[in-house]
Amino acid sequence: MSYHQDGVLDIFVGVYVLLFGLGISLMTVTEFSTWFVIPAIFPAIMVPIWISAKKRITMPRIGYVKFGSRGANKLMAVFLGLMVAGLGTFMAFSFSSSQAWALTLRNLIISNGMIVIGISSTCISGLFAYTMGLNRLYAYGILTLVLFLAGHFIAIPFGYLLLAIGLVMIINGFVLLTQFIRKYPLPQGDETNVEKSL
Amino acid sequence: MSKNPSNLKNIDRLIHEPTRLMIMTQLYVVESADFLFLQHQLQMTPGNLSSHLSKLEKAGYVEIVKEFIEQKPHTALKLTKKGSSAFKEYQRNLKQVFNDLPK
Repeated sequence: MSYHQDGVLDIFVGVYVLLFGLGISLMTVTEFSTWFVIPAIFPAIMVPIWISAKKRITMPRIGYVKFGSRGANKLMAVFLGLMVAGLGTFMAFSFSSSQAWALTLRNLIISNGMIVIGISSTCISGLFAYTMGLNRLYAYGILTLVLFLAGHFIAIPFGYLLLAIGLVMIINGFVLLTQFIRKYPLPQGDETNVEKSL
Repeated sequence: MSKNPSNLKNIDRLIHEPTRLMIMTQLYVVESADFLFLQHQLQMTPGNLSSHLSKLEKAGYVEIVKEFIEQKPHTALKLTKKGSSAFKEYQRNLKQVFNDLPK
């Protein structure tokens, strides 16, 4: 999948995770909850920039391909599955909040929050890695798990962990982008002329 | 020796040529692709790709659509219905040839 080998996805997701980490860290330090607005408004601003980056960087270099609906349907099914699972868990806890097992489970989750988030994030990135055929998402998942486990045992603040993950993704994204630009230079005039002659 | 060597006669030689087979295979798995994409995927020179595409277009297997994307000319390539069924038939015939070979 050359389309995601350009590192643009890594940079954008990395910036999002970084902003999330920054928002949480600043909120903890300054007790000013509006920092959370930063990651909340990020997708609205960045999605058009992401599309534009794909059009300016990726497509002129490797061309344009329209896949059938099968791949998009698979990705949509993963999104919907995750949403249903999230909503189901939330509702299960809401409806059984007074029951002893629910309280025990909730306390267990809260006291091991870092481990739960680490495992969930790894599972989610693994699912996307499998669906999109992007092996480096497995690596991000493992990194997240390792950092969150470390965070649990040596008490690293949640925000700092997100900052570290975001930073790794951004750096890796820029490395991939550089390699991509070197591997796929912009086509020269004579190449496009042959295409026009078709 | 094949039990029925006449099956080989059914193989579409236009598709059977390795480069054109690669083009047809690429276009079979996507809805459409542009010239540059095929060129990178198949590691071909523009001139070579262009000449094979012209042959496939002449046979009615590939449709070349000229369009404008954000005011820039763009050449989209896709398999026609005739091309898609010819490719399926090619697959069936080739499978048959190998199935007929003694084990």
